[in-house]
Amino acid sequence: MAVLQEYKCPCCGGAITFDSTAQKMKCPYCDTEFEMETLKNYDSELRNEQSDDMQWESAAGSEWQQGETEGLRSYVCKSCGGEIVGDANTAATSCPFCGNPVVMMGQLSGSLKPDYVIPFKLDKKAAKAALQKHYSGKRLLPKVFKDQNHIDEVKGIYVPFWLFDADAEANIRYRATRVRAWSDSNYNYTETSFFSVARGGSIGFEKVPVDGSAKMADDLMESIEPFDFSEAVDFQTAYLAGYLADKYDVDAEQSIGRANERIKQSTADAFAATVHGYTTVMPESVSVRLQNGQAKYALYPVWLLNTTWNGQKYTFAMNGQTGKLVGDLPLDKSAYRKWLFGLTGIIGAAVFAVSYLLWLL
Amino acid sequence: MKKSLLLLMFALLVCFASAVPALAEGDLPRLVDNADLLSAGEERELLARLDAISEKRQADIVVVTVYSLEGKSPMDYADDFYDYNGYGIGSGRDGVLLLVSMEYSDWWMSTCGYGITAITDAGIEYISDEFVPYLSSGDYLEAFTAYADLCDEFFGQALSGQPYDIGHMPKGTFDFAKNLLVALIIGFVVALIATGVMKGKLKTVRSQSAARNYIKANSMNITENRDFYLYSHVNRTARPKETHGGSGTHTSSSGSTHGGGGGKF
Repeated sequence: MAVLQEYKCPCCGGAITFDSTAQKMKCPYCDTEFEMETLKNYDSELRNEQSDDMQWESAAGSEWQQGETEGLRSYVCKSCGGEIVGDANTAATSCPFCGNPVVMMGQLSGSLKPDYVIPFKLDKKAAKAALQKHYSGKRLLPKVFKDQNHIDEVKGIYVPFWLFDADAEANIRYRATRVRAWSDSNYNYTETSFFSVARGGSIGFEKVPVDGSAKMADDLMESIEPFDFSEAVDFQTAYLAGYLADKYDVDAEQSIGRANERIKQSTADAFAATVHGYTTVMPESVSVRLQNGQAKYALYPVWLLNTTWNGQKYTFAMNGQTGKLVGDLPLDKSAYRKWLFGLTGIIGAAVFAVSYLLWLL
Repeated sequence: MKKSLLLLMFALLVCFASAVPALAEGDLPRLVDNADLLSAGEERELLARLDAISEKRQADIVVVTVYSLEGKSPMDYADDFYDYNGYGIGSGRDGVLLLVSMEYSDWWMSTCGYGITAITDAGIEYISDEFVPYLSSGDYLEAFTAYADLCDEFFGQALSGQPYDIGHMPKGTFDFAKNLLVALIIGFVVALIATGVMKGKLKTVRSQSAARNYIKANSMNITENRDFYLYSHVNRTARPKETHGGSGTHTSSSGSTHGGGGGKF
């Protein structure tokens, strides 16, 4: 058992949550709002408390290690005394018995304490609306999927991200060609000139995010980028109240490879864009050297929506800050065939009619 | 009195007609099937058609078939055949003759007078493209009928003041099956692209290959910036010769001017 944090309303004692619309803590029972700033001090006090609790946790941990409960943690809800079971990475959840939002302080302290958090700006309603919008305008989406669709669950999750800063030094050599054409009375001439083009220099990258949670598919998380880091704030546990949160389980060392790949690609692109005035440009040798700065740990807001259709699970993710929603949808094969052959017929008939008219003219 | 005047006029008309060879019917009919490629019935049918067209267009449309060219070139044989047998209508001796020789599968179209204007070199190419396949497959009646009809069309067009020539050819027949097939293929490709776009809308989960959004503003610093010339090579291709319309002409052994063209079938 580890320590849990609940935010109690000083007015009525109800559990308060972070309200994404007001960007404040709000009590759902008495509608009192609290500034985030006022909770900061409260937060630091809680961090002091946690030092004893850490020992508690490690003492208890020795008991669990040999059981099937490995990978599971249990907590006692401060409101109702019920036992909350979360997995090893759960950092914020709600009590299954009383529904009060709880934050596991042990998961977010010490080296696990995030540096930044981007608070949720969009709520559950916005996520559901975005999903309906995602369905519209897609002619090959099975109608039944749209009509019978009921979302199994909508979860607001703070997903752990590693943010990498890097300075890239690049030396790139290109082989470029320029083509000139002219003609005299007898011949057409094309002259192909070859050039060796070298570019070198440096470029800086800031806060390149890599998903630090093994549970979240990397491509899904990369699809809802970009997050606007200028809206990030220093981490406070209070932001987590009312949402789910995970701590990272893929560490910075393991994540850096993905960030470097993307940084290298962007560096090559940026330098290639400085080569002008050629017909073709082919890189001959590319050398990009990276100097990574310190990795920062941040929680980014993501709405996850799950739905099951024909026994298959469909997951959608929405950027909780910008509202960008992604998720693969099933294909209606019969509609696809109808469109394919229908369009073939219509366009074919039109082309045929035009060719006949051209012949008549 | 009246009767004798009429008789005199008739006599004068006969004299006039026989004195002007151009107006006279030639020594030979407009179809000379020496190679015997056509049956008697076919010959009658074709000759009637040639006569009708020739009279309508006031130019002799002639078909000659032979076994052998007797050592002459197809051009000379056709020109001489035209000249020495008195083909051609009017002072220009207008007409066109198609010679088919079976010995070495030669064909030649010889034009004369207004025929040179009406059927240009490009016209001969066009007409031959239509009838040579029939010759090759042995459908002689079809070949000669196609030739006669096309000559009719070309002379008719020439009367309008603008003979068929390069860039101005008859449209031919509308190839229904070919056009339909091409239209359907175009339709299918466009439909495939359109449905591909629709399908693409269903897939929105993609890895990001780059980190463009995270470049620090104004952090790019170029320290090396060299472009240098290595070598070049020049490719030279001959320009297609511009083709001129109209007909090339030559002088036959009898001294008259002919246009023409031919080949093998």
